[in-house]
Amino acid sequence: MSNIEFYSAEGLRMDGRRWNELRRFECRTNTHPSSSDGSSYVEQGNSKVICLVNGPMEPENRSQLSTQKATLEVNLNIASFSTTERKKRLKSEKRTQELITTLERTFEQAIVTKIYPRTLISINIHVLSQDGGLLASCTNAVTLALIDAGIAMYDYISAVSAGLFDTTPLLDLNALEENVMSTLTVGIVGKSEKLALLLLEDKVPLDRLESILAISIAGSHRIRDIMDKEVRRHGKVRLSKSSS
Amino acid sequence: MVAQVERKRLTAGLTVTQKVFVRSRNGGATKIVREHYLRDDIPCLSKLCNLCPSIMKPDAKGEFQKFTLSDTPLKLANGGHHYLVLDTNIVLHAIDLVENVHGFFDVLVPQTVLEEVRNRSVPIYTRLRALCKSDDKRFVVFHNEFSEDTYVAREANESINDRNDRAIRRTCSWFQKHLNDNSPQLSVNIIFLCNDNDNRAKAITEGIDARTLAEYVEALPNADELRDLVPTDSSELQRVNEIAYPEYYSTARLMGGIKNGTLYQGIVNISSYNFLEGAVNVPSFKKPLLLLGRERLNRAFNGDSVVVELLPKSQWREPSSQIIEESAVEANDTPEDEEELKISDQERRLLAQDAMVSHKTQPTDEVASRIQPTAKVVGIIRRSWRFYVGQIAPTSVSENSGSAPSNCFVILMDKCLPKIRIRTRKAPELLGKRIVVAIDSWPSTSKFPEGHFVRSLGDVESAEAETEALLLEHDVEYRPFSKNVLDCLPSEGHDWKVPTDLDGDEFIKKRKDLRAKLVCSIDPPNCQDIDDALHAQLLPNGNYEVGVHIADVTHFVKAGTALDAEGASRGTSVYLVDKRIDMLPMLLGTDLCSLNPYVERFAFSVIWELDSDANIVKVDFMKSIIKSREAFSYEKAQLRIDDESNQDDLTKGMRILLQLSRKLKQKRLDAGALNLASPEVKVHMDSETSDPAEVEIKKQLATNSLVEEFMLLANISVARKNFDAFPQTAMLRRHANPPATNFENLNDMLRVRKGMAVSLESSKALADSLDRCEDPADPYFNTLLRIMATRCMMAAEYFSSGSYGYPEFRHYGLAVDIYTHFTSPIRRYCDVVAHRQLAAAIGYEPLDLSHRDKGKMETVCKNINRRHRNAQFAGRASIEYYVGQVMKNNESTQLGYAIRVFSNGIVVLVPKFGIEGLIKLESLGDINSARFDEENYSLTFTDHTGAERTIAVFDQVEVDIKSVLDEVTSKRKAELFLK
Repeated sequence: MSNIEFYSAEGLRMDGRRWNELRRFECRTNTHPSSSDGSSYVEQGNSKVICLVNGPMEPENRSQLSTQKATLEVNLNIASFSTTERKKRLKSEKRTQELITTLERTFEQAIVTKIYPRTLISINIHVLSQDGGLLASCTNAVTLALIDAGIAMYDYISAVSAGLFDTTPLLDLNALEENVMSTLTVGIVGKSEKLALLLLEDKVPLDRLESILAISIAGSHRIRDIMDKEVRRHGKVRLSKSSS
Repeated sequence: MVAQVERKRLTAGLTVTQKVFVRSRNGGATKIVREHYLRDDIPCLSKLCNLCPSIMKPDAKGEFQKFTLSDTPLKLANGGHHYLVLDTNIVLHAIDLVENVHGFFDVLVPQTVLEEVRNRSVPIYTRLRALCKSDDKRFVVFHNEFSEDTYVAREANESINDRNDRAIRRTCSWFQKHLNDNSPQLSVNIIFLCNDNDNRAKAITEGIDARTLAEYVEALPNADELRDLVPTDSSELQRVNEIAYPEYYSTARLMGGIKNGTLYQGIVNISSYNFLEGAVNVPSFKKPLLLLGRERLNRAFNGDSVVVELLPKSQWREPSSQIIEESAVEANDTPEDEEELKISDQERRLLAQDAMVSHKTQPTDEVASRIQPTAKVVGIIRRSWRFYVGQIAPTSVSENSGSAPSNCFVILMDKCLPKIRIRTRKAPELLGKRIVVAIDSWPSTSKFPEGHFVRSLGDVESAEAETEALLLEHDVEYRPFSKNVLDCLPSEGHDWKVPTDLDGDEFIKKRKDLRAKLVCSIDPPNCQDIDDALHAQLLPNGNYEVGVHIADVTHFVKAGTALDAEGASRGTSVYLVDKRIDMLPMLLGTDLCSLNPYVERFAFSVIWELDSDANIVKVDFMKSIIKSREAFSYEKAQLRIDDESNQDDLTKGMRILLQLSRKLKQKRLDAGALNLASPEVKVHMDSETSDPAEVEIKKQLATNSLVEEFMLLANISVARKNFDAFPQTAMLRRHANPPATNFENLNDMLRVRKGMAVSLESSKALADSLDRCEDPADPYFNTLLRIMATRCMMAAEYFSSGSYGYPEFRHYGLAVDIYTHFTSPIRRYCDVVAHRQLAAAIGYEPLDLSHRDKGKMETVCKNINRRHRNAQFAGRASIEYYVGQVMKNNESTQLGYAIRVFSNGIVVLVPKFGIEGLIKLESLGDINSARFDEENYSLTFTDHTGAERTIAVFDQVEVDIKSVLDEVTSKRKAELFLK
């Protein structure tokens, strides 16, 4: 039996947060201006992710292209030092493949792909450190990098994970919490309540799902605001540089 | 290793820092970094505080924490009004005292303490948490680790314990200042209870009112009551070295040893015939490792989880065939003993005798096969210490002690355990009473464990004290249900009725109205909690419709309520001779759920269509409403069926049931179900004086098996359905095949003595071979054999279906592939879970999360298995006690059977009273002339008349039964004497 009190009777989680609090969320855009068209760095608690976007561009292999819309290519590189126990991960690992597919499907809908026919948008994600909410951090990093690359999107996609402990929904799980409860990751379109991404690991009773969805939507909106602030701050810096 | 970590402010009132620590695992070191959030909205929960109500934040249900600490806390002569802060060592060593209802109110438990307690002992942590939950003791947890004001970072070169002590002291001083600033109405002092001298000294220099537990108790107005409950502090008692037990190895050495395979971990099992012999089962050896003698056992208690080291092969031995009881060996020890004696002379003599025996017999192959590896205890992983019941040894009390505290021994009721030394002022008053004691420690220089007195149960041999002692010894929760449990009951109480409007809510709409069916119940006489009822009728197509209706307990006991938690923790009702300890409150058990006759009740029904050979054509499960027409006792039902003049539909239905049940039984036996026996008896109470009057062997009527067959059928059908719906977490019951080794001894005895054998290939083969073992000269022999075979079986157990593969689900005794308990939800928690899972499987209501979580289901199974076992033991112990009482007036001579033979005694079973007793060689006759023939399981001795007698296993013997009060344990038992 685990000897950690995940949610105490006094309403505090193992790391001192309350049920509906996000972890520290910090982000930067345009972190690697020389090696990519758009880049970003996201820290969600101790989960740290870098994302580089190249494109829209002409691909090496033309045969796979669509004449209707842009093609998305996601590469996910999870560093072997990203967890406490060092472990080499293969790209072909099922879990990684699942994440890649989920990200591709999400952003095919979020990017206005039809204005970039016959092109390739390549997204490279590097996970430096994992502490739960991997898919959410990746989604947020990709959103920021795409915006930085100037690729047309319908709106922000902001994502956060949430879980259910007994009857209490908990927002933004860290790795230890993720291990003991089923985790729902949602991606929200802008300020709306539209879901761009919904992934549930394990299972949740149907009647509890709504409460988990509600807090994760509220959490995503808060993340959108932080990301928006960063994009605007960076925009101002760019503007002041170009105008001077 | 300490890393300096920055703090980072996120928003007003929320700061994040990192907890960095290094964990060693499997020899390697891993650096772990975790986030740690500090906040300013953690309330102090004192009703006096003017500030904290404004900083509260709601939880997910929009509720706020309650302010618990009283606004008029207890006033002390030296210290004024005060709140308490407890240190970890106080909680760990004096939890009984802290739980006492006459002291220790308004207590603040720092989170640091709570976490330390949880790391050291989960049971104590659970009790501490329970204290914080109940309102009457006014305990609160203060999350000092998460509060900005009280968090302390570990400094360079500071040990984790020092850091935690500092954190607790910081909490005390912060709390004092916080109250001074924010509660002008009344000045309240913080008293910090701490038994650690160093920490207390530091606290005092920091201006905190720190006291030891003893100092604080002395200052209380009711100090006299509580003084004896203060645990002995081993540091204070500088006693002479009576014995030097080997010191335990360091944790690192133990872990290293277990990992590299030089040390083994296991649970100590002390022999019930010899308290100086223990055995530890470890997976790497086929035979258990023997622990012989006090020093090898090295302070291990029965049931402790220990680490042992193997001894060289030259010291391997066979288990002793002697019976040694502690009482015999050291009746003369005194608690203040100062002699240098390490092993008493008697003990030494016994060991020598034993050694001689093993030297005499040259290790032939026969003996070599019996030799077991021996080992010694080098460390203890987890103590199994709990409350123990015993009584003060009269010889250990000195008369002239007056009111000064003196040491005395408490002899425990459990003979496998050593006596306990306690220090009390009340020793003379407590003589002749059953008392509860707790163990504090067992230092290596003390021959006996140190403990303290908890409370007195009453006079030895008074029915109340004996019953309570029995319940405590078997860890049965018998206290009345608490208020928050009773609050979960329907508010209408006994007036609750099945609603008349059957379209009321969505749930009642899903119930099927079965009130028209002719349902009746058949139970033992005077049964109050009627779990089950039956009906049967002929269908137009020639098949039969049979319904089993089970009390719908889960309609009232919803998952996640306090009532459910209580039921889960009790696990089962416990039936004693004169008392029933309910799993659920009376209101439910005997009224609202009980399927009483002539009233409408909610039920959970299983309805089959059976063909005339009792094959299942169709099965349906439904929640229903029924109205039982009659509640029969077994005899009444039998009479009614037998009476040809009764031709009403109800009786006809019962005849159908009887006829089908016979077919079911035959089918079951054909499949290989075992017909085992136990020497169970029933104690009749005199109706006026409620004294036990006579003992009777339980009888079986055809109607008993009528009910039983259909219950089995229902359980099997439900098990299949639940397993279908929840392949990972269905609550099931299995009975493993007995390993052949269990039967080795019995088979050998059978071969030598009777020239028979039982076969173990399958349960069918076993059943058939048991049938064949008949002794024409002795009709009881077959039953005796069945009793002995039952003891070689494995115990059936509850499990969740994810824990085993399908082939292992098998119930060996019943010879079915899958089984569960569904039919007695009033008295078993397994059935409650099965009901909920079945309700979910038929789409009645969604299943609670906890019943589809593998981990949680395993915890539940573990608990109900333990409770079930304890309940059985408690029931048997109760019968044993009452049989002893009955024998007080009915001493007689009876026929018995020798079922085991030792070198210095025989074990005899008397079927008439279900008594089993040991007859020692001393009382049989001359000790020196006795010859023990191990090959033939026989003992030859010269009896008191001078004639030579030989007694072997399975022999019929005449015995005198007398009721004897055991002088040492004060247990009254029926004792046997060979005639």
